[in-house]
Amino acid sequence: MTDPTVDPTLDELAATLADVDADGALQETAAAAFPGTRGAFLRRSLGTLAGITAGAVVAGEAAAAPVAATENDVAILRFDLVLEYLQAGLYTEAERIGALTPETLAWARVVGAHERAHVRALQDLLGRRTVPSPGFNYRDVTSDEDAFIKTAVAFEDLTAALLKWQAPRLDSRSIVAAAVTLHSVETRHAAWIRHLNGLSPVTSAFDKPASQERMARLIASTGFLTRRSRTALNARPRFTG
Amino acid sequence: MGESCGNDGATDLGSSAVRYSRHGLVRTGGALVAAGAVGSLFLVRAQPAGTAPSEALDREIFSFALQLEYLQAAFYAAAVGAGSLRGDVLEFAETVAEHEQAHVDFLRDALGASAPEAPEFDFGRAIRGERAFLDAAELLENTGVAAYNGQAANLTKPSLAAAAEIVSVEGRHAAWASALAGHDPAPRAADPGEPARAITATIRRTGFLR
Repeated sequence: MTDPTVDPTLDELAATLADVDADGALQETAAAAFPGTRGAFLRRSLGTLAGITAGAVVAGEAAAAPVAATENDVAILRFDLVLEYLQAGLYTEAERIGALTPETLAWARVVGAHERAHVRALQDLLGRRTVPSPGFNYRDVTSDEDAFIKTAVAFEDLTAALLKWQAPRLDSRSIVAAAVTLHSVETRHAAWIRHLNGLSPVTSAFDKPASQERMARLIASTGFLTRRSRTALNARPRFTG
Repeated sequence: MGESCGNDGATDLGSSAVRYSRHGLVRTGGALVAAGAVGSLFLVRAQPAGTAPSEALDREIFSFALQLEYLQAAFYAAAVGAGSLRGDVLEFAETVAEHEQAHVDFLRDALGASAPEAPEFDFGRAIRGERAFLDAAELLENTGVAAYNGQAANLTKPSLAAAAEIVSVEGRHAAWASALAGHDPAPRAADPGEPARAITATIRRTGFLR
């Protein structure tokens, strides 16, 4: 340090913490799992991750894959993947129809791209243990401003709460490092759509978690899932609670 | 670090905020290219490394987080007290000031007698105008998100659960500040964690630490 007057505590702590993950491995995994969304950049990085995963599987080295997921972790990631399918589909359809206000469409465009990126990242984390998308029917929610906003606020708030519930329940520290990078983005989405609509972006100093069962109930209440989804849904553990 | 810091560091802070939002992706991109280039090495290194979560490590991390929360709480309190904010921006500052103080209280309580005391701060011009205030608020909130995300996997499960409740609110603050500043409230699909050293360097560049 060139400035002797600075508080040493912060530096000491930083030094200690730097030693904990000295080679940055946890952060590398997180960065590879959930990179930014910029076009070729995203495809390149996800392609890299997919290639590594595929190579590991082919070589019979699943334990050395970028993430070694337990059954518990796979169940959580699959739940998240279906939720991301639902949200990505909702926002993408709203953008395609184009019936919402310009502000709401701008939100749907940005957030839709994020949720699509989350879908791809989760598929890559799951590798061959991924699940296909169920069928969705959003009815008039993607063209009705009020219905869309209510739905979007509910899903973004509850997705953030769900990821908070899941984080301490994940086994793999690498997956924790990846999942939290997604969690805080969902809180940004929630705050943003709230702000656009005159709602307080943040209502408490501490955001509480919400269980997968609560999210499953919200999904069920929307009626978005169509019959053709039943096989895929039933194949996934813990979704219908 | 030291050469660009000073008590009149508000203008430096403005450029720091821009640097964070514009080039954060580029830095991440560089790390990813490196990860891809090392190929099979990445497979090995991707396993959790270093010290396993423990109560002792939780204390180190919470102590570090408390320093950030002290900074944030003091910043918003000073900004509200300086009297230069109005309307939506003032409402933001008042709301967030309460939250950051609640985070300080929580972490101090968790750490008990070993909790570090608050450093001295000087916020210079960052609390004397709406533009500079929002730039600094975005930087501090984004830094908070990166700090908590960077340590999440190092925490024990109960501490991770608590930290998740806090970082969630920091993410909302960040989006709110960006919306008020006319910036993208969710600029990336993922918020990468940053190691403690990088967080400390970012804080140093603000010049807020006396």
